[in-house]
Amino acid sequence: MVRTILALMKKEFLQVIRDSNMLRMVFLMPIVQLFLLGYVASTDVKLISTAVYDDDRSGLSREYVRSLSAGEYFITDTPEISLLEAERGFRESRYEVALIIPRGFSRKLQESKQVKIGLMVDGTNANSASIALGYANVITRQFNERVTGFSPPITLRQKRLYNPEGESVYFMVPGIVATLLTMITMLLTSMAIVREREIGTLEQLMVTPISATALILGKTIPFALIGFLEMSVALFLGVTWFRIPFAGSWGLLYALSFLFLFTTLGTGMFISTISTTQQQAMFLTWFFAIFAIMTSGFFAPIANMPRSIQYLTYLNPLRYFMTTVRGIMMKGASLDVLYPQVMAMIIFGITIFTFSWLRFSKRVK
Amino acid sequence: MSIVEVSNLYKTYGPFEAVDNFSFSANKGEILSLVGPDGAGKTSIFRAVCGLIKYDSGQIKIASFDVSRDFEKIKPLLGYMPQTFSLYPDLSVEENLYFYAGLFGLKRQQFDEKKKLLYQFSGLGPFHNRHAGALSGGMKQKLALSCALVHDPEVFVLDEPTTGVDPLSRRQFWDILKNLRAEGSAIIVSTPYIDELELSDRVIFIYRGSKMAEGTPGELVQKFVGQVYQLDLLPTSERMQQLNKIEGITSRRFGASVHIYTRGSHTIEEYHDDLRRIGIDPDLITPVQPELEDTFIQFMGN
Repeated sequence: MVRTILALMKKEFLQVIRDSNMLRMVFLMPIVQLFLLGYVASTDVKLISTAVYDDDRSGLSREYVRSLSAGEYFITDTPEISLLEAERGFRESRYEVALIIPRGFSRKLQESKQVKIGLMVDGTNANSASIALGYANVITRQFNERVTGFSPPITLRQKRLYNPEGESVYFMVPGIVATLLTMITMLLTSMAIVREREIGTLEQLMVTPISATALILGKTIPFALIGFLEMSVALFLGVTWFRIPFAGSWGLLYALSFLFLFTTLGTGMFISTISTTQQQAMFLTWFFAIFAIMTSGFFAPIANMPRSIQYLTYLNPLRYFMTTVRGIMMKGASLDVLYPQVMAMIIFGITIFTFSWLRFSKRVK
Repeated sequence: MSIVEVSNLYKTYGPFEAVDNFSFSANKGEILSLVGPDGAGKTSIFRAVCGLIKYDSGQIKIASFDVSRDFEKIKPLLGYMPQTFSLYPDLSVEENLYFYAGLFGLKRQQFDEKKKLLYQFSGLGPFHNRHAGALSGGMKQKLALSCALVHDPEVFVLDEPTTGVDPLSRRQFWDILKNLRAEGSAIIVSTPYIDELELSDRVIFIYRGSKMAEGTPGELVQKFVGQVYQLDLLPTSERMQQLNKIEGITSRRFGASVHIYTRGSHTIEEYHDDLRRIGIDPDLITPVQPELEDTFIQFMGN
């Protein structure tokens, strides 16, 4: 039994190494995904190009503009412009924000009167617009306090936990780790089994004394190991290149990833029982994966989804793994808070793996 | 001593009867050939013997184990070479062999000894690093045979192993089969080549899932009924068409000439007029002894 499993495992590794497409997929996928999503899909809002229309032209108004552009959020190095130009700049996407300081700004301030300044934001991207408005509010409040020497009675002492700088990459990398492990194990398992069917070797295997159990183990263990390797590459790059903090236990992350593998390997096996060609297997895997990733909270928070979809996400095993990986990596979560996710992964893992195991055994008998 | 016993095998695919009450046995130390046209049921029989398909009724026993019940006990005794090349094209010759050896539980040392023997008879030694996908047709078949041999099975089932293989490789392949026979294995093989039947110990003619005739090549030749004549003219399709219009005789292409069969005790002289009418000189026709192919054609024609 052990010898046959080892023989099968060795063969699987050889085949992965021989197949240049497979090799590219295995080693380039984590790197490309990480850099693509880590940089391109960044939701951080920085360096907002800002048009300034200063009708006051006073020392105080210039000081306000300076304080706005002091941080790395707003860039106001464009020369002062007219309102007309500002509007055209918006349509040409040269500006995302326009600041309008009315005449009498400094006078009213010195007379301790209320002043209104205008801030227009390009609302095309709702997310970045609201973030820009938030920044402007904070900066204006600080300017108020400095100029008037008066703080309003109630101020919010804000503290962002787990990700103080609000770096989106801290959030994306754990998500990428979870999706990578899902994709690669599902894809490799389903395609490797279907390939044997395609070239007729599966039938040849049936004539050898290999048992269904040995066949399943020999066909899944190699891909579980490759999955762990992928995950480690992504984690290594995440920690060293993107410098994301790792708050929790590495051991727990790997242990719970192992638990989650029963679901992905089982699904891969299931896909192999309903596909006759590698193309079919690949297509079905993507089909399953897209659904799983979209409703896992990887990009959009589940709480933002319509209620009916939210209920549906409970049927998505990746949802629990996504929460687990982010919980461990970002919040340092341990088993006592993760147990609902763990329970769900145990139930999904056992159900899917057993179902696929039985279905696969029946197909090869 | 018979090691494979197939009795009253039935296999249907929907309304199509692939195997119809088929029985045969194969003995140790003999080559048994199944021959018949495409779709005759050879592959279905082989796959049933190798436990790869369920059959409707009948019994298959190998070394007194029932295939449908004790297949696990049969597997170590069985070597199967399917019709299509079913090895890993991206693995080398040696890796393929080593993989199958591993599945049968051979240890490294056992494999190294076995490997030497297999390379010796197959001539694959110099190509041991070549990917299986890059081998020639003949070498692929030798590798497939080697993989099926790695665990010293007692029963070999080979489904058209020489189809599409060049004549020299075919001969070498049959030399290997003869060696295996000498070692006491039972070899069940199907082939579309009649000349290979002459190398077999026993031959079964199969047509539409039924056994038409069985015996040694010599016995089967004796089963020919009627006379065989050879017409030394090229079997053009126009000529064959004209010949087949003559009632009472059957004409078949036979290499570069035509074989004409008469029924029962009738002789070709009775048809000279008919032949002359389509422009064939009866002097070109000579009586010949029936060959196995003639018998085969006759059985398939009925």
